[in-house]
Amino acid sequence: MRKLSKVASLVLATLSSCTLAQSLEGLVLDANGNPLANANVEIHGSNQSTVTDSAGRFLFENLKAGNTEIHIRAAGHAHLHQDVNLTDAGLSNLKFALSRSPIEVIDIVSTPLHMSSMESSIPISVLSGEALRRQQSATLGDSLEKLTGVHTNFHAKVSSTPIIRGLSGPRVLIAQNGLDVSDVSRVGPDHAVASEASTATQIEVLRGPATLFYGSGAIGGVVNIVDTRVPQSNETKGEWLLETSSVDEQQLASFNITTGLDKFAVYADGFYRKSDDYEVPVMAELDVHDHEHESEDEHGSENKDFFVENSVEESYGFTLGGSYLLNNGFIGASVEQFNREYGIPGHSHGDEEGHDHDDEHSDDEHSEEHSEEVFADMQQTRAQILGEFTFEHPIIKEINLRAGYTDYEHAEIEHGSVGTVFANETYEFRLDALHQTFKDWRGGLSFRYKKSDVEAQGSEAFTPPSSTEMLGVALLEERHFGDILLQLGARIERVTMKANDVMLPMLDADSHDEESDDDHDHEHDHGDEQEITRVFSADHEFTPVTLSVGGVWDFAKGYNLGLSVSRSERAPSASELLSFGPHIGTRTYEVGALFALSEETSEIGLTDSVIDLETASNIDLTLRKTEGDIGFILNLFYNSVDNYYYQIDTGLFADDGHDHGSDEHDGHDHSSHDHDDHDHDSDSQDDEHAGELLVFLFKTDDVILHGFEAQVAWQASSHFKASLFTDYVRARLKDGGDLPRTPPLRFGTQFSYQNESISAHLDITRYQSQDRIAEFETQTDAYTLVDASIAYDLPILNNSVTAYLKGNNLTDTEARVHTSFLKDIAPRPGRNISVGIRGYF
Amino acid sequence: MNNTKKLSLVALCISTILMGGCGDAETTIIEREPIVETPPTDGGDSGSTPPSNDFLIESMGRLAVTSSESNTVSLIDLDDSTLLDTFTLNHDGSRVYASPSYRYAVVTARNDDMVEFIDGGLWREDHVDHLHDYEQAPQMSDYTLSSSRPTHFVTHDGQSAIFYDGDAETGIPASVHVISDLDITNENDSPASLIYTVNMHGVAEPRGEFLLSTIRRDDAESTSGNTILPDQVGVYHLHDGEYELEKTLETACPDLHGAAQNHDFVLFGCGDGVLVAHEHDGEYESSKIENIDEIAGLRIGSLYSHHDAEVFIGIASNRATGEVFVLNIDPEAGAMEVLDWQAQEGVSPISYAFSYDGNHALVLDNLGGLTILSAHLHDGVNELEFEGRVQLSDEDLSAMPDGHSFNMSVAQNGDYVFVSDPIAQHVLMVHIEDMEIEGDIELDFVPATVTWLGIKDEDH
Repeated sequence: MRKLSKVASLVLATLSSCTLAQSLEGLVLDANGNPLANANVEIHGSNQSTVTDSAGRFLFENLKAGNTEIHIRAAGHAHLHQDVNLTDAGLSNLKFALSRSPIEVIDIVSTPLHMSSMESSIPISVLSGEALRRQQSATLGDSLEKLTGVHTNFHAKVSSTPIIRGLSGPRVLIAQNGLDVSDVSRVGPDHAVASEASTATQIEVLRGPATLFYGSGAIGGVVNIVDTRVPQSNETKGEWLLETSSVDEQQLASFNITTGLDKFAVYADGFYRKSDDYEVPVMAELDVHDHEHESEDEHGSENKDFFVENSVEESYGFTLGGSYLLNNGFIGASVEQFNREYGIPGHSHGDEEGHDHDDEHSDDEHSEEHSEEVFADMQQTRAQILGEFTFEHPIIKEINLRAGYTDYEHAEIEHGSVGTVFANETYEFRLDALHQTFKDWRGGLSFRYKKSDVEAQGSEAFTPPSSTEMLGVALLEERHFGDILLQLGARIERVTMKANDVMLPMLDADSHDEESDDDHDHEHDHGDEQEITRVFSADHEFTPVTLSVGGVWDFAKGYNLGLSVSRSERAPSASELLSFGPHIGTRTYEVGALFALSEETSEIGLTDSVIDLETASNIDLTLRKTEGDIGFILNLFYNSVDNYYYQIDTGLFADDGHDHGSDEHDGHDHSSHDHDDHDHDSDSQDDEHAGELLVFLFKTDDVILHGFEAQVAWQASSHFKASLFTDYVRARLKDGGDLPRTPPLRFGTQFSYQNESISAHLDITRYQSQDRIAEFETQTDAYTLVDASIAYDLPILNNSVTAYLKGNNLTDTEARVHTSFLKDIAPRPGRNISVGIRGYF
Repeated sequence: MNNTKKLSLVALCISTILMGGCGDAETTIIEREPIVETPPTDGGDSGSTPPSNDFLIESMGRLAVTSSESNTVSLIDLDDSTLLDTFTLNHDGSRVYASPSYRYAVVTARNDDMVEFIDGGLWREDHVDHLHDYEQAPQMSDYTLSSSRPTHFVTHDGQSAIFYDGDAETGIPASVHVISDLDITNENDSPASLIYTVNMHGVAEPRGEFLLSTIRRDDAESTSGNTILPDQVGVYHLHDGEYELEKTLETACPDLHGAAQNHDFVLFGCGDGVLVAHEHDGEYESSKIENIDEIAGLRIGSLYSHHDAEVFIGIASNRATGEVFVLNIDPEAGAMEVLDWQAQEGVSPISYAFSYDGNHALVLDNLGGLTILSAHLHDGVNELEFEGRVQLSDEDLSAMPDGHSFNMSVAQNGDYVFVSDPIAQHVLMVHIEDMEIEGDIELDFVPATVTWLGIKDEDH
């Protein structure tokens, strides 16, 4: 009953938002007192916004009297928030001066409270506008890798996922408009993220624990891909792009458009991309196994061109959306269809591939050429409902509503038939309710419910089907105490995970240990013995809690100091707990933390340990210079994670579950094998291990991740800008040892030149060698990447069409990515030249 | 007021968080029935064995044997002739068939409107890159199908059609379920079905997404002497789990009873001959092979066939004299003739079958003789010819009590037939091509019927 009256009062509040005709007129100036054109002026808490004219003027009509918060942003300038008291007579001739900021300030939409890279206690990176178009690539990790603190796990260009401060996979949540992207990219590096950068308007990255906003899966950070699929305005605008690239013969076309009439707004986007195997400067395979990679030898002897086999990709997608615009907000819905088909390099099973690759890579018909290869065929349908409402209600100021349904499926097609099918069906609902400012406190509650059914069927179904439900509530509050902004947050959630068919097969594993002579007798001599697979139903219930305190202190004009202290908990994912089977994406046989290796019998059985939450205690310190010709952001972080779920090498080998028709499959003589030198990345492809995978077992330990990030930008003149950045993370076990695939120290510089019609960029990035490695890893060499681009605004259609030329890896250097599972078989692409044309309207 | 409410909400949240403390994790694990796989018996040197055979099981199969004395089905392991398990059936008068892919024993209880399933425990799954065989203990399945009076059970090419006759008294119409083993495994609650508006004693032949099933017209229009028997055949096509009538075959078939099909033709027994349905460019056409003079006035009421065989066996019995005619029908040639199986005086045939590969036809007689026939082409007509006979019993068969008889079931993974002998209380394993008795499974009960279960040889 009370609920109903609340709803009624909400409705009333919506209706009663009366419109008194007060006007507000003003002028936006830069630091030198010159008028700023095209600055965006917004009345906070309403959906009213406008853009200044060439004289820097703006005008609002129909505003209501009272305290009004004005929010002004313009490219190259710091944001301005200013409160004005709008009298009944209206206001005119107000002047607002914006300070210059060489570091672009972009507001993010992924959190309930207002945040930007320059103004929050937690570190944020945003990629949008022209920079996004310049850096976008086929996969998400590669698109974001130039952001400070973000690396890619580069997976031969066909898939990649961002690594934030050394963390990835189930610790980094990927969201689309604030809702979980709901694919299976969190469980395997060869599973692409089901989202597209070329139609996005901005991509936001929260570095460090963001469980407060996104729950358990965001303990390492969040990447939120934002577009306007549910439009908030009916203004007609959009963009289009056509591009072709040399290194992989990629062709890309994309567009997005928003328009509308009266109270209705509609949106559409679409993209199509197709690329061939990409060229690399050296032989793709690091270790020389001539007999395995005949094709590359052929290429080598003929024309010195090397390719990464089976790195083709073709994808397309479209989105339709529409919304109803209200005086106090909007509500709308959208549907997206996303399709992607890509080769999975390194997904070779023993020796059966590599015999019949006499194909010419200049041919286009990959579908025929690669019929013997392993492909992923991904399809996703995503529906989202988004709504935002502001109220005059005495308690509730704003409600943001997000609901999504995602139906994801990808099939791995091996030798022309479906090998494994991964599916994820997810329902999600999120509601942020912000209260009216109360004793100077701003904030509200955030509710989130998510239900995911994930299953995999087929030869690589290493994780049993599971159903996960999450219900969370978070309280977020912030208040200014003089120069200090204090931000507090707490969240509690309930995660339940059910799996009815957790399998524990009799692992047909052998240790390759020279001392044990009998390890092969039991291996394939089954005789009449029965193989027994134990089956369990596993129910997990977790209650992760997150507490966070942060502050931003504007200790001097144009400077601020941010501090964030948080304690976050994460429920382990289904793949971390329940896996038992070959995972060719990581080229390991994965065994979840529900199981353990018995010291005495060397057999894998149920673990005796308690399955517990992973707990991260994180301190972040940020120093920023936000205004002036020089700006910088310096971050230090220290993250102590207890009960960190990670994989260890058991030294055991197990069958990969595939059919190896090859005659050479006689290699069960492991006697010559020296386990200590073993590197699973390359050796598991050796003949002697054909069809076998190293067994990696999930276990927990306490780890520490710490490091720094720094960005400095200098606006040398109105045309020239130079910036420097660096990032570093050290990821180590408390008891000694390093975590695998940790990004190396990186630093780089960008020079840019921009005038009315030309924009040019030169990026030089140095990746240092990585020698802090896990036991089973090898070191990775350093390399330097040089990228350049130039864009010219064509003098047609009001300068809204831009032609551009991009060059990547101009020195054609061999670059192997330490964070990649394929670092030894798939280096980064060689020299690439892209040409394209794009337009705005 | 409102503010205090909000504050209390905040307080509640905070206290919840404090009570939750440092987070909580709870795991419940329940062990379930394990999966037991038996690897190939010829294993050992895996180096030279193609790995694709790693998951195949060499097994003779299993036999479901019903008892004449009690209402039970016994599952016998044919590899070592041991009794695996005995299941008591819930309903009297049940009949046992093999499921479409021979994994399950299908038990139809006509009078109790019930179809039940016993998992024989031997089956094959296609894991795309290899075929995977499973060998488990037999068990009763929870799955049941229910409709009024399940009567004719017809299997073809991985599908079985169960024809439910319906009941005129209670006004329940006839219906058909078409199932595969997957439906049984997945306990599919809504298998592909056809529901009529009237009851009839009919029969349905599944053919991929088509179903050829009988149609009973209004009694006024019907050409059947006994109007509970249908007199037409409809071609039904599957849409959204239901069969819809696409075409009614032109040729009428009065007093229709019995049906069979091979790779090309679907035959229905009629009072005046055999209706032949034939698919031609996606359309079914029909014709009639008229009854020959020898069986004038009789009806072919049962038909037998094999997917790969060209010849059908038709059975016409003279109810007055008890004489049974075995007919050789070649639908391609449109020919029907009496099949000379060299019957001895006073012997009558009781059971008919084709070997697993369709190369031989078998006639079992009431004196325990198993006649083996094979097809030959004569003047453009495929004819079954006598090859030989195996005498399975030398006991005094006049002592055979009423209601007892020999029964046979053909293995689907080799050239064997299993024949139960109620007097000797055993099951004989006969090699068809060699015409030799190769095994003898002793029973401690009187067998009524035998049904072979196991992994079918997919090449046949």
